[in-house]
Amino acid sequence: MAQILVVDDSSTVRNEVADFLKSQGLAVATAVDGKDGLDKLKADASIKLVVSDVNMPNMDGLTMAEKIRSEQKNTAVSIIMLTTENSPAMKERGKAAGIKGWIVKPFNGPGVIATLKKLAS
Amino acid sequence: MKNDRLVVSKVLVLDDVAAHFEHLKAFCEECGLVGIRPQQRDAASVMAILRSNVDLGGIMLYERFGGTAGQGLALAREIHAARPELPIFLRRDAVASMAGLDEKTAAMFRCAYTLADLQQLRSSLEVSIFSRVYPNELVRGISDFTRASLETLFPLCDIDTETPYLVKDRLIYGEVFTLIAIDSDWCRGYMMFQASEEAVLELLRRAGGPEGEHWTFRELNNVLGELTNLAWGSFKNRYVGHDNRGERGQTQVPIIINHQRGFISFGSDDPQLCLKYLLRERHRPEAAAVPIFQRFVFNLNWSPDEFRENPSVESLVDAGELELF
Repeated sequence: MAQILVVDDSSTVRNEVADFLKSQGLAVATAVDGKDGLDKLKADASIKLVVSDVNMPNMDGLTMAEKIRSEQKNTAVSIIMLTTENSPAMKERGKAAGIKGWIVKPFNGPGVIATLKKLAS
Repeated sequence: MKNDRLVVSKVLVLDDVAAHFEHLKAFCEECGLVGIRPQQRDAASVMAILRSNVDLGGIMLYERFGGTAGQGLALAREIHAARPELPIFLRRDAVASMAGLDEKTAAMFRCAYTLADLQQLRSSLEVSIFSRVYPNELVRGISDFTRASLETLFPLCDIDTETPYLVKDRLIYGEVFTLIAIDSDWCRGYMMFQASEEAVLELLRRAGGPEGEHWTFRELNNVLGELTNLAWGSFKNRYVGHDNRGERGQTQVPIIINHQRGFISFGSDDPQLCLKYLLRERHRPEAAAVPIFQRFVFNLNWSPDEFRENPSVESLVDAGELELF
């Protein structure tokens, strides 16, 4: 049962983040885009935290976050965006979707792991 | 002509009069040109250079290159047929004009000049190669954030950056390239990365340890894709205004790719900004550096007068830090 779902269309980033979180003793599942992320989240109630890219094919990360709240009615899971995007407008849209935080790529594992653990717990 | 510009251009110098080398060399330096000279003067050697250098801005050709009258012009015909996008500047002995050349031959050249009168060449270079001014702050910023992205993805390599330059070439380096659109109030076009599949894949395999031994071009695709994503994101965060509402006309032109010839056209003859990064493995100093080329093609809009760095960029959180809401 996973605690954290990592959603990124880049396998390079997906594996890097997942491997790092696993090395910290966390259970991790992965998804390749927003649509896949929604499906994985629906199928695994143990997921407490989603770390997602924004720009992805099929469904972007912000749309996924909005659907997690609006369609799946899931308000228990925390969502963090890990993305190259840094525009206030996008962050505002993320806040409105109830996401908890924003990380600008590249991923710096040690710097954020404490917060992720806190959010995941 | 330039001097304060960060950006130079590479030109193939086909001029074999030794007494003139210093003169031409000084002129090239003054104009921001990096001259490349062939070791051999025969046409086959010159064409081989053209095939191996995909990042030229133009060609400076002496009409008697090769030794006899007519040999230089014959070579010009061959070059022009193979690479019509490259401007050729013709040095003549007597007159700085196309006098004595038939119309078809004269049309191959951007200008004619003599060593005694380089003004025509100077003016023609401005129009042909340096027709686009890329702000130094932009070029420096691109170089910095791309280098940082490469360091993230290739942690076992040192990254060197060559002096940025302008290219008229439309040839694609290597077997793999990425392409992503850039859309802002002041520039619209594309960014590309180009690389040799095997050379970069070997770097990744060695960095990947036992698992990396089985990596294929798909892993390379992922890494180059992420490199493109990181550089694109940095460009947007720095240079695309946050009030950019995408209300500009969404004009597009076809992009034409000829796989057999390794050729790509964006429908514009304007010089492209090219940056070449050299990846050197720290633990294998004897190994050849692996190049990755980055090109910017602002074919849909280029208004450098409106270029600005995002005023809020200083207040943005550093990459990798978590901003909690």
